[in-house]
Amino acid sequence: MMKLPHIFRYRYRQIRQRATKFSLLVTLLLFGLFFEAYMHNFNLVYITLFFVFALAFSAGPFGMRNIKAIKLNFAGCGRLFAKKEGICKIKVQNSASYPVWDIEVFADISSDYLGKIEAHKIKVANIKVFPQKRGKFRLKECYAQSRFPLYTVRFQNYIQNECEAIVYPNPKGKSLDEYLNIRLDLIGEEGDFDGISSSDGKISASRIHWASVAKGEISQKIFEKSIKNQELLFDYDRLKGDKEDRLSQLTLWVLECERKELDFEIILGSNRFNSKEVGVEKILQTLALY
Amino acid sequence: MKKFFKHWLFTDKKLSPQQLLDIGYLVVSLPLIAVIKLPMIIYLLFFFILIFRDKKLSNIALVGVALFGLFMIILSLFGELNLAGLSRLKIFVEAILYLLILAVTLQRLTKNINFYQIISPILILAISLFFFDSIAMLLYVVFEIFILLWLILAFTMGAGFKESLNMAIRMYLLSLPWVIVLFIFFPRISFEHASYGFRGDGIFRAGHDGTMFTDDRAMRVLSKRVVMEVSFKDKQIPPSNRLYFRGSVLYQKRGNRWLPLPVYLKRAFSPSQIAPKDSYDYAKDKIEYNVVLYPTYKRWIYMLDLPIKAPIGGYIDADFSVTYKGGVRDKLSYNATSALNYRYGKVIRRVILGEALKANKNLAPKTYQKAKEIKKKFKNPKDRLKAIIEFFKSQKLVYSTSPKGLDKKRVTDSFLFKSKQGYCVHFADAFTLMSRFVGIPARIVTGYRGFSQNSIKNYLLIREMDAHAWVEVYIDKSWLRIDPSLLASSSIQDSSVQIVNNKKEPLIQTQNTNRATLYYLYIKYTIESWILNYSHYRQMTLLNRFKSDTKFALIFVLSLIGIVVLIILLYIYFTKTPCKDIGVCEISPLLKKLAKRGFVKGEQESISALLKRYASSLDDDSIIRQIDELYIRCRYDDDIKACKQLREKIKEIK
Repeated sequence: MMKLPHIFRYRYRQIRQRATKFSLLVTLLLFGLFFEAYMHNFNLVYITLFFVFALAFSAGPFGMRNIKAIKLNFAGCGRLFAKKEGICKIKVQNSASYPVWDIEVFADISSDYLGKIEAHKIKVANIKVFPQKRGKFRLKECYAQSRFPLYTVRFQNYIQNECEAIVYPNPKGKSLDEYLNIRLDLIGEEGDFDGISSSDGKISASRIHWASVAKGEISQKIFEKSIKNQELLFDYDRLKGDKEDRLSQLTLWVLECERKELDFEIILGSNRFNSKEVGVEKILQTLALY
Repeated sequence: MKKFFKHWLFTDKKLSPQQLLDIGYLVVSLPLIAVIKLPMIIYLLFFFILIFRDKKLSNIALVGVALFGLFMIILSLFGELNLAGLSRLKIFVEAILYLLILAVTLQRLTKNINFYQIISPILILAISLFFFDSIAMLLYVVFEIFILLWLILAFTMGAGFKESLNMAIRMYLLSLPWVIVLFIFFPRISFEHASYGFRGDGIFRAGHDGTMFTDDRAMRVLSKRVVMEVSFKDKQIPPSNRLYFRGSVLYQKRGNRWLPLPVYLKRAFSPSQIAPKDSYDYAKDKIEYNVVLYPTYKRWIYMLDLPIKAPIGGYIDADFSVTYKGGVRDKLSYNATSALNYRYGKVIRRVILGEALKANKNLAPKTYQKAKEIKKKFKNPKDRLKAIIEFFKSQKLVYSTSPKGLDKKRVTDSFLFKSKQGYCVHFADAFTLMSRFVGIPARIVTGYRGFSQNSIKNYLLIREMDAHAWVEVYIDKSWLRIDPSLLASSSIQDSSVQIVNNKKEPLIQTQNTNRATLYYLYIKYTIESWILNYSHYRQMTLLNRFKSDTKFALIFVLSLIGIVVLIILLYIYFTKTPCKDIGVCEISPLLKKLAKRGFVKGEQESISALLKRYASSLDDDSIIRQIDELYIRCRYDDDIKACKQLREKIKEIK
């Protein structure tokens, strides 16, 4: 028996009630009707007053019953990038055998109105987020709210688990194409022969155009630029700019490689990450938390 | 109508917020049509025309509408709204109402819903309460609150009529016990009941105006309209011969008109709320009662003989007439105390007795001659009085509300000796004159007479047709009431005058109110007394009775519990989820039966599979196979006949 208050507290801990501007209206109405009734002993007004009071009072249990049927679960976010809008998903489950009404999910500064959720059904709320920094991101104030039944109270059911996601660096910098034009030599194995050009001789033997050497000239072979079956290597230390600029640049390239289905390797300090081995997601997470 | 209900009320049809708001406005504004002035009605008609045109108005057009509305408001309040008018609450509230209507209509024309527009229906409802105080409005307010609740829920839930209606009923039911308990126990103070506003019943009753005619202008009211409703504190209603509600007292006869004494005559005591103790010899069998008096626009209020304690604002004068300060301009509910057994008149000024003896023999020479004979024959005033009574009886006077052959110049003589037909005024006039002619001071009392036939329990109904006039004679230093109308016939029953001389003209006083009407009025009165006029006094009476009367307390508590239980049952009924799948609903009683027998439906198991599982355990599984077949037809083919058969088959399984 002693545990009852504790159980009660536990059950309702996650539920909060907030006033609305209509609560103020009801309060003013109650005062107004009270004075109208009291000063003139007017029973018609008394009856209206008591109805307003009783309805406002009974709105509490109705609203509480409505909101406590809701169970919220964080369903993760899509890829989040610093300073870019993203979407997080929150699963809203009606665990009761009756429908719940006027459900709106809030998190951070945005919300998603779901309205009615049928008994034992789930709806997913899409919450827009706008993280400012890379790294770990936590959704603040994540709750489902309902103003059912009378708009006089906002019943809020707070999510119980953590709403955490990882925000990747803001992808920006030179595009992969631009980069490849500049550093063609860094591309791995070469393919089709495209032509020759003069050389000062400080080139590898494989690139020497031996036919021209025979004629007394030293020329080098030029090959096609894009070769898909070769690996790209991105070295953090060889990039320009500060830490965030470098990570942003790497993120941009990672995403471009992913889009173009290119395999790549990233060197972050003493660590080397191969996209084929660890996957793009892991690399992005490493960049986010670096 | 059926189509309407099917189409709207029992479907998931949704209304837009604007439509919901419009319904709200219509509902709360409906009673106000009876209050607002014609210019504002014209403005509202103009507004409705604009709404039905369904075109968005330009800003200039809106300004035009606003100016037109303001003009109509000024026109409505013209002559009333000034600095003095503002002090009158009704005018002030009316002005606020008009401004609110203007604001709401202008906002509605913009087709944009804002916060103020949302709250306006509630404000209009609150304001409308200033204007009405009737049972009809009570019922309408209860209905209005329900409709507003329904509309709010329909908006919040974003649901159709069916679901929001169900929710509204449930919330309303839950709030009812609170309303009842608060209404009974919420502390009241003894402020006067509001008397402003529109009553919904502008007809006032013909109160006696302090005069009495004996010619064509005579008081002859045949109306059944209710004048007073009386409830006696003790459950018993006094006998009919005690139900004389005293009004004005008349002394002077001028032609065919009786008048009260002039105000300049000094009286034995000044009017006061409680009759001075030395103004009567004794006053026993005191009785407390409540009177609801409908507006008469006269200053008299009516109390049983002999008034002892008048209500606040009422004054008992030296004639024991009771007047009300400012007159009865609105329905007045008052508590009063009277003594049924009394003797009074000891304290009287000689000049007043002189007035009660004045009689012009030229107005009734024949009556005077007869009185002279009596006076000569009997020396003792009591004997003379008896002789007058005997004379009246011997004349075989006919009580008739349509007397024939009365001579307007000699009304008294023609009534007593020629026509012999008349009603209370003629009887009272003749008796008073004759008493005075024989030397007995006499006066006429006008008022109402109640009849126990027109009562239920402790409730007594007084109608306009119960208006009456009787006589008081001064004998042995006290005023004695005599009702000469009772001398009209030899067939007097239960103190009431009946049909005279077997003529088919019934006396108006005996014409009973129809029992059904009486019950209706009784219920109406009870609701008015216990709901509309529930006061600190009634609250205290109830609580005191609760404390002192165990049986009553028990009934009271049980009634409250009964109401709460009934409401809970209704709530549960409305909480039930309506059946969406008729097949499942029909078969669910069987599933319960099977569960009791250990055949519980598995989570992934279909109902047909469960039935087959159960059938395999039976020797004769034919009925289960039939049920399975019917269930499939009912659920998947929407075969109503199959559903009925399924229900019957399930009943067969014990």
